[in-house]
Amino acid sequence: MAAKKDDYVPHHVMVIDTNRCIGCWSCAIACKQVNNEPLGYFWNRVLTTAPNQSTTAKAPASDNLDVPWGTYPNCELAYLPVACQQCNDAPCVKVCPVQATFRRDDGTVLIDYNRCIGCRYCMAACPYGVRIFNWGDSQHAPGGVVGYGKEYWTEDRLVFTPERPKGVVEKCTFCVERIDVGEEPYCVVACPMGARIFGDVNDPESQVSELVNVGGGEQLHPELGTNPNVYYLPVAKRVPGES
Amino acid sequence: MAKFSRRSFLGGSAAVAGGLVVADHLRFFEPSTGELTSSEEFLTGKEVVYRTGHSNNCDGACGHLVHVTDGRVTMIGPAEWGTTTVSGEQAPTFHPRICLRGLSQISNTYSPDRIKYPYKRVGERGSGKWQRITWDEATTLIATKFKEIQEKYGKTAVWVAPYTGSLALIEGVIGAGFRFASVIGASAGDSEGDNEGDSATPAGWNYVLVDPTNPSNAGGFFTGHESVDFMSAKTIVFWANNVAETSLPDWRIMCDARDQNGTRLVAVDPRFTVTSAQSDEFVPIRPGADTALIDGIIHQIFENGTYDSAYIRANTVGPYLIDPSDGKWLRANKVIAGAKDDYVVFDESDNKIKAASDPTLKTAAVMGTHKVGNLEARTALQALADMAAKYTPEYTEKVTDVPAAQVVSLGQIWGASKPLAVRVGFGLSHWYHGDLHMQALLTLQAITGNIGVHGGGVTTFAGGMAATFAPFDLLDFWAPKGTKLYTLLEPMNFCDAVEKDDPFPVRAAWFPIDNFAQQMSDRNRIRAAMEKLEFVVVSDYSLTATADLADVILPACTYFEKTDLLSSNNFYLQYMPKIIDPLFESKSDLDAVRMIAEKMGYGEYFTETPEEFLKQIMHIGQPDADPSTRGLTWERLTTEAVRLNTDPMPYVPFFNQQYPTRSGKIEFYVEMLLPFDQELCDHKEPIEASPTNPLYSKYPLVFLSTHTKFRTHSQFVNLPWLKEINNGGDGFLEINPRDAAPRGIADGDVVRIFNDRGEMKVRARLTESMKPGVVNCYQGGWDTIRVKHYIEGHPNNLTHQIAKPAQALIPNFPSNAAYYDVLVQVETSGA
Repeated sequence: MAAKKDDYVPHHVMVIDTNRCIGCWSCAIACKQVNNEPLGYFWNRVLTTAPNQSTTAKAPASDNLDVPWGTYPNCELAYLPVACQQCNDAPCVKVCPVQATFRRDDGTVLIDYNRCIGCRYCMAACPYGVRIFNWGDSQHAPGGVVGYGKEYWTEDRLVFTPERPKGVVEKCTFCVERIDVGEEPYCVVACPMGARIFGDVNDPESQVSELVNVGGGEQLHPELGTNPNVYYLPVAKRVPGES
Repeated sequence: MAKFSRRSFLGGSAAVAGGLVVADHLRFFEPSTGELTSSEEFLTGKEVVYRTGHSNNCDGACGHLVHVTDGRVTMIGPAEWGTTTVSGEQAPTFHPRICLRGLSQISNTYSPDRIKYPYKRVGERGSGKWQRITWDEATTLIATKFKEIQEKYGKTAVWVAPYTGSLALIEGVIGAGFRFASVIGASAGDSEGDNEGDSATPAGWNYVLVDPTNPSNAGGFFTGHESVDFMSAKTIVFWANNVAETSLPDWRIMCDARDQNGTRLVAVDPRFTVTSAQSDEFVPIRPGADTALIDGIIHQIFENGTYDSAYIRANTVGPYLIDPSDGKWLRANKVIAGAKDDYVVFDESDNKIKAASDPTLKTAAVMGTHKVGNLEARTALQALADMAAKYTPEYTEKVTDVPAAQVVSLGQIWGASKPLAVRVGFGLSHWYHGDLHMQALLTLQAITGNIGVHGGGVTTFAGGMAATFAPFDLLDFWAPKGTKLYTLLEPMNFCDAVEKDDPFPVRAAWFPIDNFAQQMSDRNRIRAAMEKLEFVVVSDYSLTATADLADVILPACTYFEKTDLLSSNNFYLQYMPKIIDPLFESKSDLDAVRMIAEKMGYGEYFTETPEEFLKQIMHIGQPDADPSTRGLTWERLTTEAVRLNTDPMPYVPFFNQQYPTRSGKIEFYVEMLLPFDQELCDHKEPIEASPTNPLYSKYPLVFLSTHTKFRTHSQFVNLPWLKEINNGGDGFLEINPRDAAPRGIADGDVVRIFNDRGEMKVRARLTESMKPGVVNCYQGGWDTIRVKHYIEGHPNNLTHQIAKPAQALIPNFPSNAAYYDVLVQVETSGA
């Protein structure tokens, strides 16, 4: 890869291989840990679904986690981890009346906790339902602060603090404090399946470039025109014994 | 970063809030003061990162990177593995691994459920009335009572039962509890840690691959292929093994094989699991009918002629002739003049009967019935083919519910796809005939040439005893010079020992990290027996159902708080440094044992530090260290996760095709099982969970109590992060809508599950993942005085303790609790 200029700005993208997602929620627990998310709140959730969204299989017998589509023994089961999709054309940015939600040039959509007034327009605008509002004083387990544990500022804005105050909206930051020092988001590190791949889509030799450009990576609800920076590899219809 | 912020007050208020939350969570026993650091201290603190192994009884044996700030653990992540073996060879690629349970460990260590101080019982046993005492008082009391009871009823009347709550070396299932038992002359539980439902498949493994009567086999052993060896398989069959949920870090390797090599994945299971969903093929089997399906596949192998004659001839007893009069091996010295005692074969190159070691032997016939004098003697392979003949696809379908076409297709896969690896869950072991299931799988793998080869085998846990036991001089650790090894009392014999003094009286018990009163089968019987004990000690880190019944409770450390070593289930040695000081007044098991031993007059056996014990057990730096660790220095052990030396690499059991059996071959015809009518793997119906059982009309549902990703047995169950994603922690009964409808059960209804042994109540979860006729309630939820994850009771109120006599042939795996071989009825409950 050619040497990068000092002012080079990467374009951060995450690809999630749903062939490998086993619905274990390790990403969600890792997220909860590194971001000290309060009890009852998940920045990242793992939905139970069927491998093909157009499936004609019978709907699950109950709407609990891990309950498959179909009729025994012809069942279908897959998972869809959903956090902030880090949209390039983000509805949440457009509706924020105080410019608290903003997009960095690397594609990361962040919330400035000093600016957020808690109006929740962004939550109404987000088609993915990934934003969370702090209604009251947060409760934590096991009691003390866990995870990154410090404030993080970027572009003179406070975009992470271990305990978000009452009255602000919070969400996935792509682990901005980690990616800015060359580390991967913590869900990527913690995924036991290696199902999450993070990188710079501006770099044509990166794995994410390949997966996005020729590997079949798909955005969630592309018809909405939000142009997310999170891509999913759909469950392949594999032919047994062939790669 | 000091910047002006209109919300900068938040840091200060957050610290106060954090402190309040801590106090609020300490709901058990006395509130503590000052043990947990506040947010404020944390925010200014210095971070230190340690590497350790997660020893809480998982297959994964994950390496953890543990971040510590101001003496408090604040973050856990997956750790890298060493890249070379002890002797410096390049190790296979092994990804860092962690899962939701390991990631939740902080909330386990700092859980309000921690036992914080020693206590003694002041109310009735099980009343939950306790008085806090000092360690000195507690250990004096224990030493006095143990001595009293030993004097009155004999030394073995004290039973020590360390269990798999921890797989670390010094504490837990192979730990210091056994040394203590030996030193004081007590009896002790099962060091293999697989007697509570996990010893049937190991027994079957030993029937076929090990001679249990040969002292060099030490009563039997059990091991498996290293996880990364599955990358070499063309097909991997998950037989009753929900890897993607219960050993989930290993599932990555299976996916790598699938995605990189095109390996075919097949899941055989009565439940449609996530493993089934991600496999290429799902084989829906009637629970307990596994051997019949294997027999159906074996029949297909013979129909298609796809057995591996050369392999069978070289490595199995297949060509050996059987005496038709008694079913035993035909002996050469009886039928060939001048021959020595040997097996007998038919040489198809000259049509002569010969001794197996006859130098003129060219090609031993693997099939056929051959005339030996006036006897018509079949080869063992022929006997197998004859036995399997009735398992036509149609008959197999009738017995197993697996469609005939799928039986045929499995036969084709097994014949054409080599190497083929089988991964077996301990679910297969939770049957009265679990031993037979394993015997059958090994038979199938033997005739298709899949044993002792890369990408083959039948593996329950990777590494198994090869990694857990082999590198260590455990006998010397357990029974130091001048002492005799403890007397073994299997958990399955506990009740008889207490109630009938059979085989000897037991009047006191110590459960170090063993939730015996909840996790053992037929729990009502266990609890009744525990009531009769004169003295019960529990050392644990959380307040378990077993601790509820204790006379003295000792607070134990979690894996952050003590020095130890982890070498289970994968081939890396993971030094476990003491990362934080023990919380509250908790102590390591070793320290607890030492205090009691000193007061009983045996302090001399416990003068070593954990580091000194580790050096002794591993013979660090000594020429007589096990070959797997020879040459390893203490410095290297404590600075990286070193891979053991193995031959081959990745590790494959019996790669040299030398088998420690009587014949030196794979014995799929098991002579010692003739008295049990089990010399060949002919299917036998489950002892309880069978439609042929008259009880079936009263209790028509097979009751499984499987494992789930949200816990490891009864650990991690009550952690808030995990409860949030697991139905709030409340147990539920998985039931197919086709079974629910005629019972008037709707999703979320409270149901009563019952049989003659007991009952429980939970809410129903309707799901098509269950085979009709089968229900499942995840085991391990708590039923303690304070915490109830089931509305009433526990799955083990319904299970039984029926031991299979044949297993007594294998001294290390003599009995087994058949947790899944259980019938129940389910009805709606008014509650």
